[in-house]
Amino acid sequence: MLVLVLGDMHIPYRESSLPVKFKKLLVPGRIQHILCTGNLCTRDGFDYLKTLAADVHVVRGDFDESQYPEQKVVRVGQFRIGLCHGHQLVPWGDPAALALLARQLDADILITGHSHKFQAFEAEAKFFINPGSVTGAYSALDSAVVPSFVLMDIQSSTVATYVYQLIDDDVKVERIEYKKSV
Amino acid sequence: MVSPNEEPEKLLDEAMAVVRSQSFQMKRCLDNGRLMDGLKHASNMLGELRTSLLSPKMYYELYMLISDELRHLETHLLEEFQTGHKVADLYELVQYAGNIVPRLYLLITVGLVYIKSNENCKRNILKDLVEMCRGVQHPLRGLFLRNYLLQCTRHILPDVEDPPPSNNPNDNEQGSISDSLEFILLNFAEMNKLWVRMQHQGHSREKEKREKERQELRILVGTNLVRLSQLEMVDVERYKKMVLPGLLEQAVSCRDALSQEYLMECIIQVFPDEFHLQTLGPFLQACAELHEDVNVKSIISSLIDRLAAFGNKEDSDGIPSEIKLFEIFSQHISTVIKSRPDMPLEDMVSLQVSLVNLAQQCYSNRLDLVDTVLANTLHILADNLKITKIHSGSPLGKELARLLRLPTGNYNDLLVILQLQHFLPLLQLLDYQGRSTMGTFLLNNVLENGTRIPTPEQVDGVLGLCASLVRDADDQPLSQPDPDDLAEEQLLLARLLHQFEGATNDLQYLILQVARKHLETGGPKRVIHTLPTLVFLAYKLAHAYFNNKDQDEKWGKKVHKIFQFCHATIAALVKAEYSELPLRLYLQGALAADVITFPGHDTVAYEFMSQAFSLYEDEISDSKAQLSALTLIVATVQQTRNFTEENHQPLRTNCALAASKLLKKPDQARAVTTCAHLFWSATINGQELRDEKRVVECLKKAVRISQQCMDASVQLHLFVQLLNHYTYFYEKQTPGVTISMINQLISKVKEDLTQLESGEDLDQVTSHLNTTLAHLALRKEQPLPDGPSYEGLVL
Repeated sequence: MLVLVLGDMHIPYRESSLPVKFKKLLVPGRIQHILCTGNLCTRDGFDYLKTLAADVHVVRGDFDESQYPEQKVVRVGQFRIGLCHGHQLVPWGDPAALALLARQLDADILITGHSHKFQAFEAEAKFFINPGSVTGAYSALDSAVVPSFVLMDIQSSTVATYVYQLIDDDVKVERIEYKKSV
Repeated sequence: MVSPNEEPEKLLDEAMAVVRSQSFQMKRCLDNGRLMDGLKHASNMLGELRTSLLSPKMYYELYMLISDELRHLETHLLEEFQTGHKVADLYELVQYAGNIVPRLYLLITVGLVYIKSNENCKRNILKDLVEMCRGVQHPLRGLFLRNYLLQCTRHILPDVEDPPPSNNPNDNEQGSISDSLEFILLNFAEMNKLWVRMQHQGHSREKEKREKERQELRILVGTNLVRLSQLEMVDVERYKKMVLPGLLEQAVSCRDALSQEYLMECIIQVFPDEFHLQTLGPFLQACAELHEDVNVKSIISSLIDRLAAFGNKEDSDGIPSEIKLFEIFSQHISTVIKSRPDMPLEDMVSLQVSLVNLAQQCYSNRLDLVDTVLANTLHILADNLKITKIHSGSPLGKELARLLRLPTGNYNDLLVILQLQHFLPLLQLLDYQGRSTMGTFLLNNVLENGTRIPTPEQVDGVLGLCASLVRDADDQPLSQPDPDDLAEEQLLLARLLHQFEGATNDLQYLILQVARKHLETGGPKRVIHTLPTLVFLAYKLAHAYFNNKDQDEKWGKKVHKIFQFCHATIAALVKAEYSELPLRLYLQGALAADVITFPGHDTVAYEFMSQAFSLYEDEISDSKAQLSALTLIVATVQQTRNFTEENHQPLRTNCALAASKLLKKPDQARAVTTCAHLFWSATINGQELRDEKRVVECLKKAVRISQQCMDASVQLHLFVQLLNHYTYFYEKQTPGVTISMINQLISKVKEDLTQLESGEDLDQVTSHLNTTLAHLALRKEQPLPDGPSYEGLVL
């Protein structure tokens, strides 16, 4: 089961489009679910995701209109996946604040965005992922944003996470494994 | 009664039956050596072609059957004569056949055999045959007879160089290329006359039907041209001196539109491009002299398109430099246009489309030629015809759009289009709809090709080209545009801004100013889509100056100006009565000014924060929007690093104040809890605040507010959340946050849980409590090395 995790596109405010090399990788028909951390900013972005997969979940970013929920839980296989943009969590990106939200959502995996920086770590048997910004959008706090997204391959109780990063116009892929403790 | 359609069918069947029976007898006689009887049956069979009652299609069927049968006769005769029979006699003999149609078919058949058995009489017989065919002047019968002549002679026409001039009539008996040309050109001229004459037969109300029938027969006339093109001795010189003049003379003089259109098209298609290149003058001259009903536009366009493709072909040497192709066409086209005052305007523009195509294909480095065409078009439309507005749905509007699209699609570089002086004035002739569509087309072209726009002048030009997307126009529809359509269109414009890329930071700043000058005229419904992008481009530029500060000693002043630019741009959005997006843009500005430490950045960041606050207080009234805006403000203040205490103090105080002033109690409780984090981890001048007193105050206040919530399940949700925040601060070892506070909350929640009715809320609270308790249990069991002790925790 392939789950595409991405967000913080910020089109058109901060970027014009997805990197061409990402667009070529993201083809319809291979992905079952899309989890989007928000900041699509326009209807156009949502429509684009809908062309990639039928099942699209989006939470509200700080630059989205209010049609998306602040947070949600999506079940995939044995996993409860929590999804939240993360601008609501003070301080931004603080592991303890993330853990707090993961407990509230009873999530095995918590996905957040906002920092425009890919991150994945395990804490207290929970898995935390930030897919970064798929467009490499501007961030006031980080002057060297690398465009990135995450693909999760979920098999019953394991998740193989592949992170795609565009470094010097080359797509670099890394793999990280996470197992659900029973 | 028979229906009118049935009768010719029946006639055809009868005629076919006669043909079959006569040909059967003909073959039997021939097999039995009775040549004269055989010829008699052949003549009877051919007699069926005398009919005037069949439609061209049926006549063709009959003709095909008969010409098949005649092949038997031909084969037989050829065998006969090769075994020694006298041929000359027979040629005389068939001349006595009673009726002219069978007689001429037989003459042709026998003549062919005669030529095949004795090459020396070829020249005379060919002359004889083509002349004698004049005897049939009925159009349909004559056309097919001459077609038969052309078919029979197709392999025997002399295709050798002319001999030197001589007085001896016996010289050149086998004929040479001049004889073939004379033969075909005469046959062609006669066929064309017959074909034209068809038009004038019968009743005038059947004009359309006749035209249709004529169209079906045109290939018979065209075969002459094909034959000419197949002769190897026809080179450019002969084509120029003999072939083309003969064809054009006939085409022009027949004064028949249908014939002229077909013949000119046929000439273009049948002969090679190298020939056309050498004869453009006479050909185009003839075009100007054609009947007014002839679609000259399509003839000239088709010639241009062919030559353009030829000039651009990989294996060709291109257009020879001595042939001024563009000038020739350009000049003749203007002659044609002048000589035809009634020519539809769209046809006139369509000719210009062909010219642009020619210029692009054959002279790709001559942009001036394209501009010349545009200038001419503009001159004709605007100066001569005084046209001021063209409806985009009209044929003229569509052609004009095609003319403008062509160079855009060819160069795929809008910077090149900007060099065309007459592009914009021509574009402005289109109505609002036409200009918008063209604007969208141009923007898509920039985005698809990734065209970078590097100077303020070019930015000005590009935004000028899509002006009808940028601002209101006098001629736009009175009704409001569909919001979705507008959003889609403005999205393109916003994406375009990312293509603006000055080579230096200073240039980029000028570019942003030019862009704003255009965009701020867009009115409230447009600016909300475009100005935010401009603001972010400016923030990016400020970062770029900062990263380059060692190379530019005036960077601080410049960055200050950029923040002023952003401030004014966001203010324009506020003026257009937006609040949520400007508030977020101000917060982004505060973050940027906090990081980019130019002289006075602290004041600028403070100003941006205070503007955000003002918007929050004055403009945002929806309670959900209030909570979400305030949370973002608090988070932003927490995130800043470089405020002085003097500026930070009012900001955090206002945050706390605003939190406690929210309308709904649960919102208050949540916002006040968020403020606790602000008092703990906010950074002032690089130092964390650690105001534990205010932290505990906030937490206690949040508990108090939660207790005031009437809804039991909401209250419980809040308590469990608070329990987590207490845990958070306990883990951070905040003085004043104690185990007993955590114990109190746990027992309070456990107690209240029993009061809650079962349902989704109970499940959620229980689950949240369980995950929280599990976390605490884990911590109690395995305290972190540098973490606090959980001694005394009651789970």
